[in-house]
Amino acid sequence: MKLRVTHHTHYAYTPAVETAQHLACLKPVDSTCQAVLSHSLRIEPAPSQQIEQRDVFKNEQLFFSLQSPHETLDVISQSTIETFVPPTYPSTIAWETVREQFRYKAGSDYEPANEFVFPSPYVKRHEDFASYARTSFPKGMSLLQAAQDLMHRIYADFTYESHSTEINTPALEALATRKGVCQDFAHIMIACLRSMGMPARYVSGYLLTHPAPGKERLIGSDASHAWVSVYLPDLPGASEGSGWWDLDPTNNKDGWGSPGEDYIRLAFGRDFSDVSPIRGVIHGGAKHTLTVAVTVEPIAEESGQ
Amino acid sequence: MIGKTSDLFDQGTPGHLNVARWAASASVGHYDELRGKVISNAADKTASLSQDWRDFFTHLGEEGLNDLNRKTESLARQIKDNGITYNVYADAGGPQRPWSLDLFPMIMPTNDWLDIEKGVLQRVRLMEHIMADVYGAQSLLTSGMLPSALVHGHPGYLRSMHGVAPVGGNHLHIVAFDLARGADGRWWVVSQRTQAPSGLGYLLENRLSISRLFPQPFEQMKVQHLAATYRALMDGIKSMSPAGAQAHIALLTPGPYNETYFEHVYLARYLGLTLVQGSDLTVRDQRLYLRTLEKLEPIHGLIKRVDDAWIDPLELRPDSTLGVPGLLQAIRAGNVLVVNAPGSGFLESSALLGFLPALSKKIYGETLHLPAVPTWWCGERAAMQEALAQMDRCVIKPSYGQSPYYPDFNPVLGNALSRKSMDEWAGRILREGDAYTLQTATPLSQMPTWVSNLENPGIMPRSMMLRVFAMSDGSHSWRVLPGGLARLVTSPGGVASMQGGGSSADVWVRTSGEVDRTTLLTPQLTPAMVEHRKRLITSRAAENMYWLGRYSERAENTLRLVQLTLESLNGEDPSSVNLLNWLQGMAENNAIVPAGAPSPLQSRRVFERALLGCLMDVKQASSLGFNLQFIKNTASAVRERLSQEQWRLTIRAEKDFLDSCALFHKNGDYSFAYALRVLETTSGYLAAMTGAQVDRMTRDDGWKLLIIGRLTERLDYLSKALSLAFACDSVNEPGSFEALLVLFDSTITFHAHYQQSRDLVALLELLVLNPENPRSLRWVTDSLRSQIQELTREGDHPEMLTKQWLPDLSPYKLESLCHKNQPLPALLDLLEHCHASASKISDEISLRFFTHSQAKQQDPF
Repeated sequence: MKLRVTHHTHYAYTPAVETAQHLACLKPVDSTCQAVLSHSLRIEPAPSQQIEQRDVFKNEQLFFSLQSPHETLDVISQSTIETFVPPTYPSTIAWETVREQFRYKAGSDYEPANEFVFPSPYVKRHEDFASYARTSFPKGMSLLQAAQDLMHRIYADFTYESHSTEINTPALEALATRKGVCQDFAHIMIACLRSMGMPARYVSGYLLTHPAPGKERLIGSDASHAWVSVYLPDLPGASEGSGWWDLDPTNNKDGWGSPGEDYIRLAFGRDFSDVSPIRGVIHGGAKHTLTVAVTVEPIAEESGQ
Repeated sequence: MIGKTSDLFDQGTPGHLNVARWAASASVGHYDELRGKVISNAADKTASLSQDWRDFFTHLGEEGLNDLNRKTESLARQIKDNGITYNVYADAGGPQRPWSLDLFPMIMPTNDWLDIEKGVLQRVRLMEHIMADVYGAQSLLTSGMLPSALVHGHPGYLRSMHGVAPVGGNHLHIVAFDLARGADGRWWVVSQRTQAPSGLGYLLENRLSISRLFPQPFEQMKVQHLAATYRALMDGIKSMSPAGAQAHIALLTPGPYNETYFEHVYLARYLGLTLVQGSDLTVRDQRLYLRTLEKLEPIHGLIKRVDDAWIDPLELRPDSTLGVPGLLQAIRAGNVLVVNAPGSGFLESSALLGFLPALSKKIYGETLHLPAVPTWWCGERAAMQEALAQMDRCVIKPSYGQSPYYPDFNPVLGNALSRKSMDEWAGRILREGDAYTLQTATPLSQMPTWVSNLENPGIMPRSMMLRVFAMSDGSHSWRVLPGGLARLVTSPGGVASMQGGGSSADVWVRTSGEVDRTTLLTPQLTPAMVEHRKRLITSRAAENMYWLGRYSERAENTLRLVQLTLESLNGEDPSSVNLLNWLQGMAENNAIVPAGAPSPLQSRRVFERALLGCLMDVKQASSLGFNLQFIKNTASAVRERLSQEQWRLTIRAEKDFLDSCALFHKNGDYSFAYALRVLETTSGYLAAMTGAQVDRMTRDDGWKLLIIGRLTERLDYLSKALSLAFACDSVNEPGSFEALLVLFDSTITFHAHYQQSRDLVALLELLVLNPENPRSLRWVTDSLRSQIQELTREGDHPEMLTKQWLPDLSPYKLESLCHKNQPLPALLDLLEHCHASASKISDEISLRFFTHSQAKQQDPF
């Protein structure tokens, strides 16, 4: 499926910002389930300096700075991406085996996925996560089934409520209220998986939404999306980085490498803090407002133009 | 056991024998530094002194020994006078505590030191290897030598530094090791500090104080000096930095509220570094710059005393105001050397100690020369089982230190726990083993300390931990500072910590070779460097200097106005209506009475009470006490530019005044006589402070801004006072006329020039157009103009600022300002112009010269 994503971030400042430095993570990269066909990033006003680099997880990052006063900042990222239906694989490895594999013993083998077992800024350890998770982890269950069950449960137990949480809401609070947005569900699910000793990471990206029948697609009505990957060591090529199974607790969909064909991956990390689309430090601009507009639309296959 | 000092040296007997009989020994089971042995029975308690302490007392002599109480007093005075402090709590209201230093040094036997030196060098090299591996190939992780949990799971591991080879080659330049001497007499490593180790300033100050008190023993015992190692460190940092020998190195401090701020100031001064806070620095095009008054000044090296997580709000903790956005980019680009390279936090984990012996074997084929206290990281099941079995002999420590997402707690002594709480700890460890590390509890060695008590002076043992420092002197080369910081435990069973109220001692390392007499006090500076350094004023310092000037002037003006008002209200002659109106206007204008206070015309007493209440209300933003506090705060931000004396005056002025206010509220003494006495005292302090500002400071751009601050404040105040006087028509009465002169501090000058005249024209000559009276508007505007124009700044023309905003009074003539003792409109316009220009000048200066450092985080998305 060919998809076009437009991600427009707009900041308005009062009074003007004098200088600013930003870090953007808005450029998708190729993966087994997607190929990036084109990408452009427009920043207005034009930055005085910008540098691209890849972070430790090989996500694309862009640093840019503005050295003259400005009252607005627009960052418009546009990408066209070909996505693929995720392949399927009968992973059977038991969750206890995975837990044992990632428990440290002197001289034991190490896998890079180990990094995603530990707590991180948005995913702190708490007994409540473990007690919520345990139901999905009966003895001898395969990790894939356990993770899918956990995803079903979060999907069923939690209410999606936009603006019910701030970006800084602790996952623990969202767990207690059973309310949140995609980001909270992702953090909760990661915390649950890690509490059982499973490596789990946070994926940021986009999802193609379908307008109600008979309605036009509303431009800018979509949002960034977030879901979860869990590591299944018995997937082919797992040690080369292909061992991640994606699960979206917000929509109850999962698949190997992507939850589905209508998903676009932007970046992954331990949690939101590793992949926030734009963060920045500004001088001046006592007040600011932020508007984000995301549009994901299918591109008709060369429709005879 | 304790006797009189005179008993120490009996006629004909060697003194140290008596000291041995007389000085209390260490507790049984502890190593006694004084006797150089473990105390295991009663006989040990009076064993003779170690050779080192025998030497010390012999060189001290009977006279010196009898002088110990006096030396103790002199030490306390020195510490107080030098303002050596340790802020207990890291916030504005927290108390500053004088640094605590014991009279006796910790004397390190030569052979012990050689062992420590060898062991520390071996460990620092190993730690550097681990750093390079973790941020590079990660082979220690893949081979399972190092648990991923202690690296990837540690908040001190910084992903944004992965793959970065630090400029100059070293990750680690300064590493602190905390050592304890066990009951076996050996030295053991307890922990290490790599992010921003403290102590390098305090130990210098300790050395300075103690060596001065014991010149004989210090010289005769060949105590190794410290300066050469500091110099080697500085030379090393420079040579490894991108700019080589010409590098500009700065010391990054979290600021005056940090508990060890004193030593940041001290160290910066000693090493010739620019002391900076995060807001002083900026990153442009991946390069680090210091914002100075004149321009952006490149910085090539940064010794940081800010923990890693706070150094770059763009990539690390977004809520940090202590760092520099973009700093990590500059580091990655190799444009700045940072001591130590960010990301070493994981090396501070106690848990790591258990893995180092195997790593040393594997990497170098070497056994560690200096052992670590037996340590078990409970993230490994086998180690956890072993550790749980001996919890009562261990200290329980957090594996991840101050971590936002693991349990954080103060170390707990197993043997101090009840059965029940021991079980609770075991439960936590079983549930979340990786967060806990157990270490064998070591009985600390005890060193002699002098208890200065007039009745019963004596030598008492105190448990001690030793902090020593490895410092790099070039690429992959380190040396150990021959000295250190001994930290003493004051409470029985307590831990050695300066924050917990412990004391410290100088550390004497004896050398069998030559004493290295290198000094840092003879700087190898070229005239160009001297010229350059002289100009360097950070924008933040400039801003503080400006406000220091404004508030000093404001305090003096406020004080004089209050004095004048009190005197007029209580004078023998009934004051005129016009004078009272004017004073009321001035009082309201300067907010020295609360808004809505009744007019003195209605009730003088009520007005006076309102005035006094306001004066003594230190929370009121315009009160004298508030001004004095503000002066202290701005002064503390530029403390490195002020003389010791000036700083002391500032502290005392504030403290005395606040004490008086407290007394005033306690006694409810609303008498104006009491208030006048308080004002008199404060006035003396302010005059001395002004004297120091005007006469005792270098006239660089920072000083110019202080003066500009004073002059701007004066312009604002005087122009308004005159306007009001005309508006109240109070100039034509003798009483008011005199009052105006008092307020302008010009009574004597006026009468010297014009005797008993009360002509307006004479008044205007003196207070408006006189080019020589420092309280005339002409003089103030002229001086302001010349000071502003002298400010140097790249690409800016301060003369434009003065031309545009500052009135020129030189063309004015008296006849155009008044006629027959009446002011003309031109005069009132001029006053209005002066008043408006004061606030405009202030805005413009702040816009052009100051930091605007209030960076903030923008919502992420």
